[in-house]
Amino acid sequence: MKLFRFLFCGTGLPTRESLRHGSGDPGHFSIRILLLGVALALSSRAADLPALIQERLASIVAVEFVIQTETDRHPVTVAGTVIDDQGTIIFLGAAIPPTISPDQVSNFKLHPPGGSEEYTATYLGPDALTGWHFIRAEEKARAALVPITRFAGKETVQPRLGDELWGLGLRGKDEDFVPYFLSSRVALVARLPNETAVLAQDIAGPGLPVFTPTGQFAGLAQNAYGQNFLLFSRGQNNTPIMLVNIEESSVVLLAAEVLPKLGRIPSAISGRPLAWIGVYGLQPVDPEVAKFLKLEKQSGVVISDIMTGSPAALAGLQDRDIVLAIDGKDLPRLKPDQVVISYAGQEIARRRPGDVMTLSVLRGTERHEIKVTLGDEPKMIREAARHYFARLGLTIREFLKYDGLINRSAPGDEGGVVVHFLKPNSPTATAGVQPNDWIREIDGVPIKNYTEAIEKLSVIEADKARNEFVLLASRGGETQVLRIKLN
Amino acid sequence: MRHSTTPSILLRLLGFFLFCSALAEVQAGNSRGFNRLLEAVVRIDVRETSFADGAQRFVSGIGSGVIISEDGLILTNAHVASPLAVEISVTLASLERVNAKLVGWDHWTDLAVIRVDLADLRRRKLKFSYAEFGESTRLTPGEPVYAVGTPYGLTRTVTRGIISNNNRPFEDPRGIRGYEVGMFNNWLQTDAAINPGNSGGPLVTEDGKVIGINSRAYIGADNLGFAIPASIAQRVSTALVKQGAITRSYLGIVPGVLQDLERFYSLASNTGMLVNSVDPGSPAARAGLKPGDIVLTLNGQKIDGRFPEQLPPIQNTIADLPVGSSVKLGVKRGALALELTAVSEKLESRVGEEWAFEKWGLSVRRVSRAYARETQLSDASGVLVIGVQAGYPAALSGIAVGDIIMKVAGEPIGTLAHLKEHYQHYVDTPAPVLIEAQRNRRIALYVFKP
Repeated sequence: MKLFRFLFCGTGLPTRESLRHGSGDPGHFSIRILLLGVALALSSRAADLPALIQERLASIVAVEFVIQTETDRHPVTVAGTVIDDQGTIIFLGAAIPPTISPDQVSNFKLHPPGGSEEYTATYLGPDALTGWHFIRAEEKARAALVPITRFAGKETVQPRLGDELWGLGLRGKDEDFVPYFLSSRVALVARLPNETAVLAQDIAGPGLPVFTPTGQFAGLAQNAYGQNFLLFSRGQNNTPIMLVNIEESSVVLLAAEVLPKLGRIPSAISGRPLAWIGVYGLQPVDPEVAKFLKLEKQSGVVISDIMTGSPAALAGLQDRDIVLAIDGKDLPRLKPDQVVISYAGQEIARRRPGDVMTLSVLRGTERHEIKVTLGDEPKMIREAARHYFARLGLTIREFLKYDGLINRSAPGDEGGVVVHFLKPNSPTATAGVQPNDWIREIDGVPIKNYTEAIEKLSVIEADKARNEFVLLASRGGETQVLRIKLN
Repeated sequence: MRHSTTPSILLRLLGFFLFCSALAEVQAGNSRGFNRLLEAVVRIDVRETSFADGAQRFVSGIGSGVIISEDGLILTNAHVASPLAVEISVTLASLERVNAKLVGWDHWTDLAVIRVDLADLRRRKLKFSYAEFGESTRLTPGEPVYAVGTPYGLTRTVTRGIISNNNRPFEDPRGIRGYEVGMFNNWLQTDAAINPGNSGGPLVTEDGKVIGINSRAYIGADNLGFAIPASIAQRVSTALVKQGAITRSYLGIVPGVLQDLERFYSLASNTGMLVNSVDPGSPAARAGLKPGDIVLTLNGQKIDGRFPEQLPPIQNTIADLPVGSSVKLGVKRGALALELTAVSEKLESRVGEEWAFEKWGLSVRRVSRAYARETQLSDASGVLVIGVQAGYPAALSGIAVGDIIMKVAGEPIGTLAHLKEHYQHYVDTPAPVLIEAQRNRRIALYVFKP
């Protein structure tokens, strides 16, 4: 229903624009002629909208892949946008949870919208700054694909409030991912911290491009924002609920943010190199606090925690320092307050290990300039060595620096392993082991490292005569002796 | 106040039927002891201070109690009468009301003692009877028992059931408005109907002897009620009358059951107590006790913590030691036998003193050592936000329940008194003040503005 409503109002727009301009002040004759010319051009081009749509379909694909976990296989379908002539395609970050390692994602398939063809693709890795995942289509698929840059135009589109845009959604696999048309007007443009437009209605499937009426690339649809509703049901008055549309979105990352970042194709499947500073628990300074600290025109970020041995610690940053500027550039006042945290995060993510970053911080009442040489991000959960013990019913992974921060372990107290996955109703789950438990001892013997834990658990797993084993697990600072019954 | 006639007739009829059926099956209603007990059960109406919503407010509640002495001492629950009570009103069996005062409370066992205003009683020539205790240690499951109290405000309600279990462990670390309960005692479980308002009333035998104080029930379950055994209640009430509070020793051992682990630890059955966890910085930690250790002896006495039911009595043995005493722990660690000595500290609740700063619309609680340990704070400084009032400076600043105020105007807040000083300064000379708070180790800044 929605689909047809937009089809009709979409093409009428340029005519109304030209009429409005035509009745303007006679003193601006030349401008009027010019505007009229533009409007006519728009309306004549807009009349070709079906042709524009056909042409741009070559820039979008449906992407299917599989996430394999210890016991389950999760098929995933997302929408992708073609970004270059080598068949590189991007899709949005949320499709792969951050703890999933690259070797758990496989079977990438591409489907052109509305066609029955199927092509394979390879996973190239994630990009930390944009969150995008990159894949590359197999050779024979590439000829039919057109990069979105082809529609970028000479001047990057800067949508203003009220501008009309259009985009596409993709139906499901049972409908051959047939494309459908959506259109709406820009309701809001904001820095979040990236230039983002929110439209009055859903404009495209998340991850798909959005265009101007003349077919110029205007931005990339993001995941939809939640909307509040009241749910009325029989026997109950009403309940406030939040709904998120997972098929269509009204949120668009503008072309000016998308185009310069399309070159960030990961050189490694891990997404590395990743710049690392080692500050945690960043909190925004709200406008009232900023005023109190006499920082009216800008914002700041409070550092809650600094990892021991991190670049921030080595440079002399301290917890409670308030970051005011990065490389001489004041932190902007963004709305809502929390956005400045993403801003600071992106400032680090856009840099590389080894880069020097100067932070201006407020410490008490004094201002300090601190030069930090960024390091390499320590091993992340998705990169951690891990092993699944099918009979015991759990996956353990190595203890990471990050785990030390979460568990508030004393420096040097980094032995043990972490429970990454528990198979429901397995011997370990039944015994009360929980995900993220920090295993300190196996059978009463302290575990120094991952290798040692693997050796011990492998022996237990292989020994069919074993009746039980005992773990010492730490959870929220409290330990527990857990007996795991095997037979 | 006049009632219309219809409801009272209906009630009388209803009462008649209930009375008939009771006569047919039960003798308790006739026994002298039981009648005496009924004369000793009271309804307790309490008005108490609450610091919950960013202000000092009053809340009211109804509970039950039982008079246990000639001089008007009444035993009830700690969750009925607490130190926050500002007005305690007792309705005697004669339906006359008198005021009462708190004598002492002990949330660990959910017991409190109040005393009626004897002078007022004498002036008004009011009489009451007091109950006798029975032998709660000799109860057997299946024995008939009665709960007497004020469920949902229905004064002097008797319900009947049996002892469902005479030794039930039931520990609740945040059971009484955030206070710990049940670490040091087991409970009597009964299927005599216990509803809200029964709290503090007695659980009695057919001859009217008090064998427990009704305390809690699973809401929504069918008659799973719990009472503190009289043996514990007698001991605690005596101490409360003497000292107003019960001082307990703390070592910082979190015990676990040894059941099925004997072979792993090469132990004979019914020997020792497993150490599940040792509180960081506690006397046990300083003494070198470690998780996975087995405590075989406590000051030379053998201990047996094989089953969950056995742990509260062991915890109580430790708690009963004088504060500051050296406790010798005979410990088995793997093949090693160790003798460790821990010096006990005074047991502290996780709930600290509470206060409200009305002009800020902020209510707070001192961070106790136990709370700091539980939330893995580096120390017990700071003050926890437990309530904010909408539209007042605290709420407007964005601070929220769960935040811990660490600094005000750049100065560390070690105690509640520090915060009170800053508040007074704000009241005297209202001006914006900078607050530093943390939550889950995240530090954030707020400004309280007049």
